[in-house]
Amino acid sequence: MSEGEHNCAEHCGIFTIGGDLPIQGAYRDICYQPVRDNIWTASEGIYRTIFLEGNKGCIAFDTFGTPGTARAYQQAIGRVFPKKPIHTVVYSHEHLDHCGYAADLAPEAKIIAHDYSNQVILGRHSDGQLAAHETFADERSSYEIDGCYFELIYPGHTHGDGNIAAYFPQSKTVFMVDTVADGVGYTTLMDWHLTHYVPVMKRFLSLDWDLWVPGHFWPVTRPRFIQILDYWERMFDFGQEAIIQGVDPHDWEGLNKYTDEKLGPLYGSEFRYHEYAAMNLSRYMQEYLTGGWGIEGNLAPQLGPL
Amino acid sequence: MQENRGLFTLDAAQAYLAAEPEMVTEKLSDRLFSVTDGQVRTLFLEGNKSVIAFDTFGTPGRARAYGKAIAAAVPGKPIGTVIYTHDHLDHSGFAADLAPDAEIIADELCAKVIKLRGAQGQLQPTRVLQGERHELSIDGVDLVLLNPGPTHGSGNLAAYFSDENTFFSSDTILANAKYGFMPDYHFCNFIRYMRGFLELDWDRFVPGRYEMTDRAGFERGCDFIEAVMNECQVAFVNFVPIWAYEPMKGYCMGQLGERFGDLEGFEGHIGQMAIRIVHHYLMGGWGLEDTAEPRVLMADLIEI
Repeated sequence: MSEGEHNCAEHCGIFTIGGDLPIQGAYRDICYQPVRDNIWTASEGIYRTIFLEGNKGCIAFDTFGTPGTARAYQQAIGRVFPKKPIHTVVYSHEHLDHCGYAADLAPEAKIIAHDYSNQVILGRHSDGQLAAHETFADERSSYEIDGCYFELIYPGHTHGDGNIAAYFPQSKTVFMVDTVADGVGYTTLMDWHLTHYVPVMKRFLSLDWDLWVPGHFWPVTRPRFIQILDYWERMFDFGQEAIIQGVDPHDWEGLNKYTDEKLGPLYGSEFRYHEYAAMNLSRYMQEYLTGGWGIEGNLAPQLGPL
Repeated sequence: MQENRGLFTLDAAQAYLAAEPEMVTEKLSDRLFSVTDGQVRTLFLEGNKSVIAFDTFGTPGRARAYGKAIAAAVPGKPIGTVIYTHDHLDHSGFAADLAPDAEIIADELCAKVIKLRGAQGQLQPTRVLQGERHELSIDGVDLVLLNPGPTHGSGNLAAYFSDENTFFSSDTILANAKYGFMPDYHFCNFIRYMRGFLELDWDRFVPGRYEMTDRAGFERGCDFIEAVMNECQVAFVNFVPIWAYEPMKGYCMGQLGERFGDLEGFEGHIGQMAIRIVHHYLMGGWGLEDTAEPRVLMADLIEI
């Protein structure tokens, strides 16, 4: 810690600054609505997740990203199913903004995660992020928990570590976080493994579903999922062309000028385009300037149907 | 002639890959030279019978221009050894165009990433180093290579030249503020590892980009990045919208402008740095290499 010990009464993630940490305890309203069958979705406006109604209790995916939102999520589930406590938490991946606060959501619940996620969680020692009790390392694992059937799928390296999808074949629904969501990508595509991303996400088209619930904003249809992947795929060529034409990936004005002129006519109406298209482009340029990042960024993508 | 293309797939990249920029060489001692194309910077050393070159620059044309700069500074001695500072193509991507027959030295993790990547022109290391410290004697030149842990890229090796009181570390600390979005930085232990290099006795710092500086300039670079890390946390916990460029830029400029605003590129880059660094705290660091006791997922599965 740089300025002394925390006096924050909340779990403090990996913050190193001392003093109070107001955002950690702040209450956020959580909206919730049914999706299909026993699947519900919850959001505070930016982040989105799902929870399932079981016979005796609930299965919550993820925790939201602060102690305050984790508690609000718990209260939202409790309002919908007041007699059904959260007995299971499934982590979509290891990032704190989605899965950092099981200690505040449901400290006694059983936690399920992919092995890669759990390795990072064990190494991170983030305050409030609980390690998994059960992990899996296969590509597909089926679960029947308290009357809820779902499959957890690790399709390959996409974002973060051990990022899994939940597939509900009976409801023709997939839930997956921080991969396909409506509009352009978030900032510089933090912790994305670009080599894998498009071919791995296309694997989901081998499954029978028509509703995709992302980790942010609103659900998308299967045709929209395909459109969004097309943007990601075309960005590889735009990234190369920007380098060839002399754009500096760290020149903010130059990046924005390029995206306004070259990408704007094609994608300018996409959600958050004017916030993030330049950052998206910068990240794609780095893929060619530096090469992929690390072991994950350079492994051959997994291909073929799931 | 078709150039080695790295990872480029567009034919239109050929002219970019082939262009040979002007190189500026500076003699730092009887045997040590620094060279830059105006952005990337590296070092080479004159051995008894050959040259030891760090890195290759980032295109075939730049690699050839680097080779010509070496030949002009040290005529008659071939490049016998290339040392990769790290795996990124913009620094070590084109040994095939610089010195295809040279011995290539790199850290083990760097070598594994290069093997997986298979970029055209980036040659596989022939001598792989494991561990944190390596005292090497190559063709009459003594040097120390250091890898304290993940800082930037994979298997990043710094170099210490005690006779020249010189320290070289690529794409870590800069003499200015032109860090951009800080691609492939690992923040958890970054400042601790960088400050650890100050235990060595040196007074000239050669970064992997832009101008050289002295020990005080290096320390100030550490202070700067640490200050951004702290201010990003303060912004985050006090509800600055961390997902938006302008608010994060404005907040960090306001907090850090007086102390660091004189650094070249501060205004143009602080917003980008802030966007990247604040997400370290939002997300928790990226991967097992960005934890307090770093390791690398799946690295043990890769054989070289």
